[in-house]
Amino acid sequence: MKGSRQQEIISRHSLLWLLITNVVILLPLYDKLTPWSMAICGICLVWRYGIFMGRVAKPPRLLVTTLALASALTLALVTSKIGLLNGLINLLILGYSLKYIEMRDRRDVRIVVIVGYILIAITLLGQQSIYFSVLLTFIATINTCVLVSLYREDVKLNETARIGFSLIIQSLPLAALLFLVFPRLPPLWMMPQLKTEQTGISDEVSFGEIGRLTRSAALAFRVKFDGAPPRNHQLYWRALVLEDYDGQTWRQHDSIKMLESNHLAPRSRSDPKGPSLEYSVIAERSNQHWLFGLDVAFSDTADIVQLPDYRLYSPKSLTQKFQYRVKSIPSMPMDMTLTEHVRNINLQLPDQNNPRTHTLAKEFEARYPKPVNRLNAMMNYFTSQPYFYTLTPPPVGPQQIDDFLLENKAGFCVHYASALTFMARASGIPARMVTGYQGGEWNKQAQYLSIYQYMAHAWVEVWLEGRGWIRLDPTSMIAPERILEGFDAYFQGGDSYFMDSPFSALKLRNYPFLNELRQTFSSIDFYWSVWILGFDSSKQEQVLHQLLGKITREKIAFFMLSSLALIILVIAYSAGLLHFSRGKDKISSAYLKVCKLLDKKGVPRRFDQGPMDFCLTVESQLPVIAGDFSQLTQYYIALKYRTLTPSGRKSTTKLFIRLSRQLTLKLIKL
Amino acid sequence: MMNRANSTESINPNKPSLWWNAWLARRLPPSKQITLAHKSIFILPTGFGLLWASLILLLFILGTNYQNNLIIGLSFLLASLFNTCIIYSYKNLAGLSLSSLPSPQAYAGETLVFPIKLSSKQAQFEVLVSYPNNQVNVVKVIKEEAQLSLLQFNNPSRGRIIPGRLKIESRYPLGLCRAWSHIDLDNQVIVFANPIESHSTLSALDTDDISLTLDKGLHVQGVDEFKGLRQHIPGESLRQVAWKQLAQGRGMLSKEFQQPQGQPLWLTLDNLSAVDIEERISKLTWSIDKLSERGQIFGLVIGHYKIPPSDGESHRLACQQTIALLPFRREIG
Repeated sequence: MKGSRQQEIISRHSLLWLLITNVVILLPLYDKLTPWSMAICGICLVWRYGIFMGRVAKPPRLLVTTLALASALTLALVTSKIGLLNGLINLLILGYSLKYIEMRDRRDVRIVVIVGYILIAITLLGQQSIYFSVLLTFIATINTCVLVSLYREDVKLNETARIGFSLIIQSLPLAALLFLVFPRLPPLWMMPQLKTEQTGISDEVSFGEIGRLTRSAALAFRVKFDGAPPRNHQLYWRALVLEDYDGQTWRQHDSIKMLESNHLAPRSRSDPKGPSLEYSVIAERSNQHWLFGLDVAFSDTADIVQLPDYRLYSPKSLTQKFQYRVKSIPSMPMDMTLTEHVRNINLQLPDQNNPRTHTLAKEFEARYPKPVNRLNAMMNYFTSQPYFYTLTPPPVGPQQIDDFLLENKAGFCVHYASALTFMARASGIPARMVTGYQGGEWNKQAQYLSIYQYMAHAWVEVWLEGRGWIRLDPTSMIAPERILEGFDAYFQGGDSYFMDSPFSALKLRNYPFLNELRQTFSSIDFYWSVWILGFDSSKQEQVLHQLLGKITREKIAFFMLSSLALIILVIAYSAGLLHFSRGKDKISSAYLKVCKLLDKKGVPRRFDQGPMDFCLTVESQLPVIAGDFSQLTQYYIALKYRTLTPSGRKSTTKLFIRLSRQLTLKLIKL
Repeated sequence: MMNRANSTESINPNKPSLWWNAWLARRLPPSKQITLAHKSIFILPTGFGLLWASLILLLFILGTNYQNNLIIGLSFLLASLFNTCIIYSYKNLAGLSLSSLPSPQAYAGETLVFPIKLSSKQAQFEVLVSYPNNQVNVVKVIKEEAQLSLLQFNNPSRGRIIPGRLKIESRYPLGLCRAWSHIDLDNQVIVFANPIESHSTLSALDTDDISLTLDKGLHVQGVDEFKGLRQHIPGESLRQVAWKQLAQGRGMLSKEFQQPQGQPLWLTLDNLSAVDIEERISKLTWSIDKLSERGQIFGLVIGHYKIPPSDGESHRLACQQTIALLPFRREIG
C-alpha cells in the first residue's frame, strides 16, 4: 500500500485516546509494578503527554532502545525476588510504555492496543470480582475505541466512544454463547504463579495471632449447602491442626508438613458412612494451601488431597477463587486407634514451662481419674472462675498460659484453646489445637453462608478411647453466644473488630435497609463466583442439559448455528443493515388524514380534485385555516412532484409533518 | 482494437491471472453506475486481523492454563468482536453507489483524472478508492449527498485509456477485516498525444501551396459571409443596420460580415520533419491546438481518412481524437 502511506500518520484524536487508554490500563496493575517500572511508566506517560501537547519531540530511537535494554536488565536482576510471572508482567508493562512513546504510525498503535488487551487479561488474573470485571470490560472497550479512532479521526470523543461501546455491546451475546458452549479444557501446562501476600489464617498460632484476623472484614469463603444448613454452633470449619507447642507458638507437626509438601494422600480413609452433609465451598484467594471443611470431610474434586488429620488440602496455592465439593459426616469418628507416634506428639509439652498450669492439671488428674470427667471439669473450670472474653487481652509474660489462666483471666479463643490443650496434655490426655473458622453469615436471598476473616477461631480436639478425636471449645463456656449465634451476636457492631477494614460494607448491618442492600450485592457476587468464575465442564453440562434436554452433538450444533444466525441478524439490524419497509407512504398518509378531517368538517374533496383545486375550495370554505392549508399543499406538491436535493427533502418532510400535526390539532379543536 | 489491447497492457503490468478477470467480468460487468451489494463485496481478514486471531488464541490458552474463566471470557469477547466487525465491514461498503463522470481532456504523460461520484444511503467511513498502482483516495465520510472523488491515473500513453477495475476498500471499524470490491465503471477516455512544439506546420500557412488547399484559411472581418449581429455603434454606416430586427423592436443592431483570408490548411503526418511517427503525431497534436487557438480553419488527412476543414472546439476534439487513436508503430514504412 504505497499510496496510503500518508494515511498511516497517527491523528491527534487517536493520540488522545491512547493517552486515556494508557492510564486506565496501567492503573489497576499498580500493585504488580516494581518501583523502577512505575518510575519508567510515569516518565513515558509524562513524555507522551508532552508530545500530545506539542511541547517535546519524540525521543530518538536509540534512547528508547537503551531504556528498554536497561529496564529488561534491571528486571532480570530482580526477577528472582518478585517471581518469574511478575517479572514477565513488568517487562510487558515496560514494553507497553516504551512503545507508547516511540509510536510512529498506525501499525504501532495496533501493536499497543494488542498489548493492552494482554495487560487487561493479566489484571484479570488477580482481580476477579464482578465489579472489577465490569470495570475491565469497560477498559477493554476504551482500548477498542483507540482502533475506532484510527478510522474516525474528525469526530468528537463521544462519537468514537459510542461506536466502540456499541461494537462491544453487540458482541456480548455471541461471547456469552461461546462461553456457554465452548468446551472447557484442563490446563495444558503448568504456568508460573503470581507471588502475592498470603491472607487468612497461618500455619502457626501464638497468642496475638487470631486477634489480628478478627480485625479484618474480608471474605474468607462461602458455602452453599445442598440441603438445609446446620446450626451455627455446629459450624466448625477445620483448616489446620496444630500439634507442636514450644511454649510460645502452636505449629503443624513436621510429619504433616512433609505429607503436604509431597502432595500425597498417604492412606485411604475408610468409606464415608452415616448421615452426611453435602456442600460446595468457594474459597477466596488466600495464596495458602489449606481448604475448609466440617468435621470428617471428603472431597471428590480433582486436585484435592485428603490428609490423615481429616483436613482438605490443595497442592496448588489458592491464587484465585477455588470452588470444590465437600461431603461431611459429622457422626463419623476420627482415628479410632491412635498410633504410639501420634499419641506421643499429642502429649508432648515443653519442659519447665508453665509450672502452675502443670500443677493445676495434675490436681484435675488426681481428682478425676476418668478422662471424660476430667475434661468436663476442666471445661467447667472456665465458668466457675471469673474468665472474660475479650479481643484486647492484657499482655502476658514468658509463662504465657500461667499468666492467662491464673492471673489475667481474660483472652479470646486462642488463649482458651491453648490453656485447655495444655492442661489436657499435662494430665495425660492426647490433645491438639485446631484452627479454622466458626459460624457464618446466612444470606437469605441466595441461600448461602459467608465466612469472613474475623470469624477465624481456634478450638481443641482431644482423643478419647473408643470415641476418637472429640471437639471441645472452651470459648463456648465463656461466651456461649459467640458460638450459638455467631461472632456478630457477641460483638454487636462497635468493638475493635473492623479496625483494618474501616470502609467495610459489613458496617452497614446496623441499618436494616442498607443491610438488605448489602446482602443483595453479596448474592450477586456469589452468583458471579458460582456461575462465571466457577463455570467448568460439569457446570457446562448441567446448563446445556437444562437448555437442551439430553445433550447430543447434533443438538449442540443446531443450537450453536441457530443462535449464531440470530445473533448475526440482531447485529446486522442494529448496525442498520436491514431495512424493513415502512409499509405506507408517510407523506401521503399525513395529507390524507388532514383531508379526512376536512371531510368531517364539511369540506369534502371530490375525486376529480387535485391538491391545488382542493386547496382553493378549502380557502373559500374554511378561511380560518386557509394560510396553513395552502402552505401544507405547497409542501405536499413539492415533496410529491418536484425533484429535491436529499437535504432539501429531509427538511421539507420535517416541515410538512410538523405543519400537518398542527393543522390536525386545529381542525379537531374547530 | 489492437490499440485497446495495447493500452490496457501498458497500464497494468502486473495484472492478475486471466480467469480471475474473466470471473470478475461475469460477476461484476462494466457499468456507468454501480451500487455495491453482497455480490460485489469481498471480505477477508487483514494482517492485523490474523494478529487479532492469535491474540484470541493466546488469551484462551492463558485462561485455560490458569483456569481463569474471565480471561477465557475476554478471548471470547474479542472473537465475537471480530464477528461483529465482519458485519460492520460489509455494511461500510454495502449500498455504496459509484458513478463515473466524463474525464477532463489530458495529454499523454500528464496525470489523468477520473471523477467518480460517491453516495450512500447510510453513512460510510474511510473508504479507500484507487486504480491499481495509482494514488489512493481516502474518502472520509460518504453520505446520501453525492460527493466527487477525483482519482488520479499516472502517465498514460496516447490513445484510448481504459483504467480497468476500480478498487474500493475499507477497513472500518477496527481494521480487522478488509472489505473490498473491484468494479468497472466503463469510463474510458481518449488521451491526446503529448504535444511537441513544431513550426513546420505553422509555416506551411504562409506558403502558397495551392495544390493542397481548395478552401480558405483564417477568417477576418469582411463583406462576403454573414457572421451574425452585434450591438450598433453610433456613427457606423447605416448600410449595416439590421432594419428588420429594429422593426421587431429588438433595438439597433448591426449586421456583421466576415471574409476568409489566406489559405485553409490541410494537416497531415507527411509534411512533418521527424523520422519517428510518434514524434510526428506529437507535433501534429501541438499544431492542431495552436491552429484552433488562432481560429484557423484546417482539415486533417491521415492516409485515406479525411476530416474536412472546419474550426471550433468540436473540430479540434475530433482531430485530436483521430490522431490519438492512431495505431502505435515505431517506424514509418
